[in-house]
Amino acid sequence: MKNMLKKFWLIVSKPSVHLSFGFLTIGGFVAGIIFWGGFNTALEATNTEEFCIGCHEMADNVYVELQDTVHWKNNSGVRATCPDCHVPHNWTDKIARKMQASKEVYGKIFGTISTREKFLEKRGELAQHEWDRFTANNSLECKNCHDYNSMDFDSMSERAQVQMKMAAERDQSCIDCHKGIAHHLPDNMNSGEGTLAKLEEMATSGYKKGESYFSVRQLPLFTNSELNEEAGQLNAATEVKILEVKGDAIKVEIDAWRKTKGFGRVLFEDFAMNINDGYLTKEVAQAEGSMTKGETKEDDLTGLPWQKVSVELWMRNGSLTDSRDTLWTFAKTTYDSACSVCHTQPAENHFDTNTWPGMFNGMLSFVNLDGDTQALVLKYLQKHSSDFSDAGH
Amino acid sequence: MSSNNVVDDKPSKSDEWKVFLFIAVILFPILAVAFVGGYGFIVWMLQILTGPPGHG
Repeated sequence: MKNMLKKFWLIVSKPSVHLSFGFLTIGGFVAGIIFWGGFNTALEATNTEEFCIGCHEMADNVYVELQDTVHWKNNSGVRATCPDCHVPHNWTDKIARKMQASKEVYGKIFGTISTREKFLEKRGELAQHEWDRFTANNSLECKNCHDYNSMDFDSMSERAQVQMKMAAERDQSCIDCHKGIAHHLPDNMNSGEGTLAKLEEMATSGYKKGESYFSVRQLPLFTNSELNEEAGQLNAATEVKILEVKGDAIKVEIDAWRKTKGFGRVLFEDFAMNINDGYLTKEVAQAEGSMTKGETKEDDLTGLPWQKVSVELWMRNGSLTDSRDTLWTFAKTTYDSACSVCHTQPAENHFDTNTWPGMFNGMLSFVNLDGDTQALVLKYLQKHSSDFSDAGH
Repeated sequence: MSSNNVVDDKPSKSDEWKVFLFIAVILFPILAVAFVGGYGFIVWMLQILTGPPGHG
């Protein structure tokens, strides 16, 4: 053995006697091409659905669940396969994920999820890994196909429009709202279904002119009473004053603050507090017509100038309530039940108003809430934060 | 150094062929896979420390 190595080194370390320079270069080059081709072929072979469902753990659980969803069968005939969503497309992350799969080989050998019961037991943990990944990369694998810029909002229902436009505005991570879109949710998780009905149940009717009401969910705003010229979106639990009732349409006044940097499209409930009241379109935010501008103050902490504005716009007659407390009760129940899945959630007054959005977004990867509920719960937390509570610290 | 030794040091043609084929077909492919695998492993370990890859 030692002699063989010695002989090998003797030959390798000296110029060859019999083989020409050209042959060695071409030979090494060709061998390199064949190797790299083979390497990629092998890598791609592990990136196919056939490979993934080669194990019964995948074939009998998640693969079967996928077949009931829109990612399996839909009217456009495009479908997603396992690696489309679950293997990063970027080379470095892909190689890292392939190495990480050694854990899955370990799991296969030792039967970690070899039965349905064991799989269900572990589903929450496994799902959380994927949600963490999607949260960190802003749902990159979804966005390889789905693009906010390519969405035709006009062909969506009005409610979907409001939600998707709000999400597009912030380039929100898809998984924030769409958990369980391709596989079943873990058992202890709120499916989020029926919340629209619950929110609408809280709405009252017969709005009186001059009275103030609160939106039960996120709602579209319009510049005209025919409700066909879009003006923006009203956030959940936002106060509006009724100016006029005209059949299916109502004219409302929104008293808010905005930052005068940029287009000033985002409305906030109070000076220097990032409590979202909604968005205006660029045109409405810059137009003089529907807006009365009030005092301007500078926020010492950020140095940003804030301006008080009063906007008059039209909206659909409905989805308002006269009691914000009803909304807070619902929000508190949701916060208490959904957010305690992983740990004891922080008290409402543990953070201040401007800290809550960041904290709340960090918690979104652990819960399954639709956009309306997210907005409502966040506003509840902000309005009960340490800024509004004497008991806080 | 005798002239005998110089003759002994010259490898045969078949030995050079064997070494070439061993390097090109077996050794370097194994090393390449090991390097790529090692790189992936290091990135995975870093991800355990710093969290999953972000966006941007």
